[in-house]
Amino acid sequence: MNYMKNKEIQGLITADEASVAGFCMDALLKNGASDARISLSKSTSDTVEMLNGELDKVSHSSDRAIVISVFADGKYGTFSTNMLERKEIEAFAAKAVRAVRLMEEDRDRSLPPSSRTAKDAVTGRETGLFDEKYADIDAERRFRMAENECMYGKFSKDDRYDVISEECEYSDLVEDNYLIDSAGFSGRHTESSFVLSSEMTIKSPDGKKFSGSWWESSPFIDRLDTCRCAAKALERAVRQLGPVHHEGGRLAMVVDTTVSSKLISPVISALNAFSIYQKSSFLEDSLGKKVFSAGMTLMDLPRTYGKPGARLYDSEGVATKDAPVIKCGQVCNYFINTYMSAKMNMEPTVESISRPVLLPWNCPEDNGITDADALMKICGKGILVTGFNGGNCNGVTGDFSYGIEGFAFENGEILYPVREMLITGNMSGLWNNLVAAGNDSRECRKWQIPSLAFENVDFSG
Amino acid sequence: MKNVQYYLDRFRVTEKQLDELICTALSRGGDYADLFFEYTVYQELLLRDGQVSSGGFHVDYGVGIRVLKGERTGYAYSESTEMSDMLAATAAASYIAKASSDNGRKTYGRFQTSAKNDFYPVLDDWRNNDAGRFIPVLTELEKRIFSKDSRTVKVIAKNVWSESEIMMYNSFGELTCDFRPIGNLIAAGVFIQNDRTESRTVSKSFRTGAEMLDENLVERLAVETVSGVDDMFAAIRPKGGRMPVVMGAGASGILLHEAMGHSFEADFNRKDQSVFSGMLGKKVCNSGINIVDDATIRSNRGACNYDDEGVPGQRTYLVRDGVLESYIHDRLSANSFGLPSTGNGRRESFRFYPLPRMRATYMENGQASKADIIASVKKGIYVDEFSNGQVQIGEGDFTFYVKRGYLIENGRLTAPVKDLNVIGNGPRALADITAVGNDLEIDDGSWTCGKDGQEVPVSCGMPTVLVGSLTVGGE
Repeated sequence: MNYMKNKEIQGLITADEASVAGFCMDALLKNGASDARISLSKSTSDTVEMLNGELDKVSHSSDRAIVISVFADGKYGTFSTNMLERKEIEAFAAKAVRAVRLMEEDRDRSLPPSSRTAKDAVTGRETGLFDEKYADIDAERRFRMAENECMYGKFSKDDRYDVISEECEYSDLVEDNYLIDSAGFSGRHTESSFVLSSEMTIKSPDGKKFSGSWWESSPFIDRLDTCRCAAKALERAVRQLGPVHHEGGRLAMVVDTTVSSKLISPVISALNAFSIYQKSSFLEDSLGKKVFSAGMTLMDLPRTYGKPGARLYDSEGVATKDAPVIKCGQVCNYFINTYMSAKMNMEPTVESISRPVLLPWNCPEDNGITDADALMKICGKGILVTGFNGGNCNGVTGDFSYGIEGFAFENGEILYPVREMLITGNMSGLWNNLVAAGNDSRECRKWQIPSLAFENVDFSG
Repeated sequence: MKNVQYYLDRFRVTEKQLDELICTALSRGGDYADLFFEYTVYQELLLRDGQVSSGGFHVDYGVGIRVLKGERTGYAYSESTEMSDMLAATAAASYIAKASSDNGRKTYGRFQTSAKNDFYPVLDDWRNNDAGRFIPVLTELEKRIFSKDSRTVKVIAKNVWSESEIMMYNSFGELTCDFRPIGNLIAAGVFIQNDRTESRTVSKSFRTGAEMLDENLVERLAVETVSGVDDMFAAIRPKGGRMPVVMGAGASGILLHEAMGHSFEADFNRKDQSVFSGMLGKKVCNSGINIVDDATIRSNRGACNYDDEGVPGQRTYLVRDGVLESYIHDRLSANSFGLPSTGNGRRESFRFYPLPRMRATYMENGQASKADIIASVKKGIYVDEFSNGQVQIGEGDFTFYVKRGYLIENGRLTAPVKDLNVIGNGPRALADITAVGNDLEIDDGSWTCGKDGQEVPVSCGMPTVLVGSLTVGGE
């Protein structure tokens, strides 16, 4: 692995730092570990925040940490430190092995066999998520990027509201991970990200405040969609003016793509082998069964080059692969790591989902993009959800209750904003009531979940 | 209590170097600078399937450097306390002064740091014990949970503790050191009855040493883990809508935390973003209601000898006799308002700059009895276990998730309910508190507050109260 040319780029692991991982491995084995896995991570981030058009905060962060998984005498433990001097690492490794020996034996713990680990994550750049131009970005450019997002003082007068505050932010981040294990695995993953965001707070003549936010991100600075966050944030604040009390009832629900991942998250959590093993998953005994609407197909597509969320190995070093998770409502895969595989006597898969992609379903054929507007037309009457406000899903039962904000609609057209409303139900029931899934997922997101439409959702108002 | 030299040695710096760093931080024209050194050891042990077969420790070390220019902030940190690394971080933080025109006041408040607060004395240092001391505690906890309810099929028991050594220094020359322990004991049970599964997680957390892991705590946690399991299996989903809500004593403090506390944080009010902006000195709820944010409760999870800006911990009335008396301030917001800090400048770690954050937030006792409050409600719900609170600062809309409660019908608790979200509006809910009980309890759960990507330990408390009308989720 060639680290030399990385030396001048902050956030990237240097050859010397990588050698610390090897040094730590040697120290662990010398102290009696039978096996070990070492994850060395490094990141650098800079943020510029503007308040009402003026610089408000600048921050710079730079992190390095080593996380080790230690196997000794049939026992196991995980440890981490950010004190990477060799003398510290030596003492840390010895102490870690001693601590592992105090644990109780668990023979199901092991490294994944090398036949399952990734072989193609050599330089860290294979996923196409690192922008070489990151090295050229200086403080002045960061400031200009943030400044250019600001609209403060440029708003046209509107009798419906006054702008109370405008917060705009630019941030960039480089993350580099180097993972090795004592069975010979070595992998590297490097990515950059650039984010612009804005939050606007406005006040209506009756003194009520409303806020709206928007963000854009990309792994590449030149692909960042600039100079639109503040306008979008303002638009999202303004459209909330004049909320009307809605009594609720059993209604159709359209969920905008900006927030729709909230509803898939409990499903993905319930597919985790640990939850299933603990009898804490509402999807226990669901493998191979059709438990959701035939329109629900969820893929894990971690090997899509250049897309946020792409990765070649999971936290154990196991090679990822593109695979269906739920196909036409049928559960195809649980997320089973090496340990849970042994515990549950099931074939291992990967530890967790990387890049979930919910496929479109029931989109109008003559329409290129099926977004929330198109889904409202399909549903006719109901509530468009554009934000969630708290709530939870009971992972054991799938019962959920979430606060929502959004708009009442009829004949596919928005009527008025609604506030202080709740949806309540069960995840299995909700996803069986899927009417359509759009194709409008935002390119910049790791989770590609489009706008969604459901029927028969219980709203309380 | 360790002396200053111990902390200087821990962070491998001298007082002269501290001054040099501050001088460098201010060299571009900053008005104020501070340093926050941290060494934290965190350890966890997990019992699963009857065995403590997983655990580990984690070490975090570094220094955060902040420069203020008027009301603007520059921040950077270093994970090394080599002088060259700290100076590089200092240069990054000082950029704020170079780039900014002058604005705002610049007093930031001086504080008497000779105060020797000791709100969390430690009898048994966690670090002086190894896993062998804690494994029997987890094993005993599991055994008791299984023995108390035959429907138990799985138990996870967890002990997590951390100890932080903190040293703070600022451009006023204030040098402050603090040793912060925090211990957690957590139990999660899974129960099966007639092919139905329910789970329940209970935690206790204190700023104390390992002495907290005594027989009483283990028994208390075991009892609480299995309490209410019958009700969980019997729970119904009520018809949703607006209704009176009786908040039970203790964990109902989440109402204060979400509905009012966050909106009282002065960074939001400094920017006029909060629904409570401009309300200082005004009546916000019924007379007789007092709301306190308190750093001084001994061994409490929210206790702070000093906040993370070196300001001594204190007890602050936010609302007194129904009038909004104080916002929650760090040095920066206090400077903006021309007031002394209330000691609420807190941060997750040296990686973050401080923000106004709550500590232990509670309502003082009123006059009513719990029984009378429930009896006064014809149709509503009673709730006493929660998770997942949230608030929208500008709009004031808050929510919290009810893990356990009961219907109230004709003044009596009837069917159990669970898994409901409750939503309301902060100022309206505060003004709508029509009865306050005389049974204040501070909840000892592992409450953690998130804000701007930072998590800090807090706690909350409440006597039984009646809120006239909130929206309750249901079918």
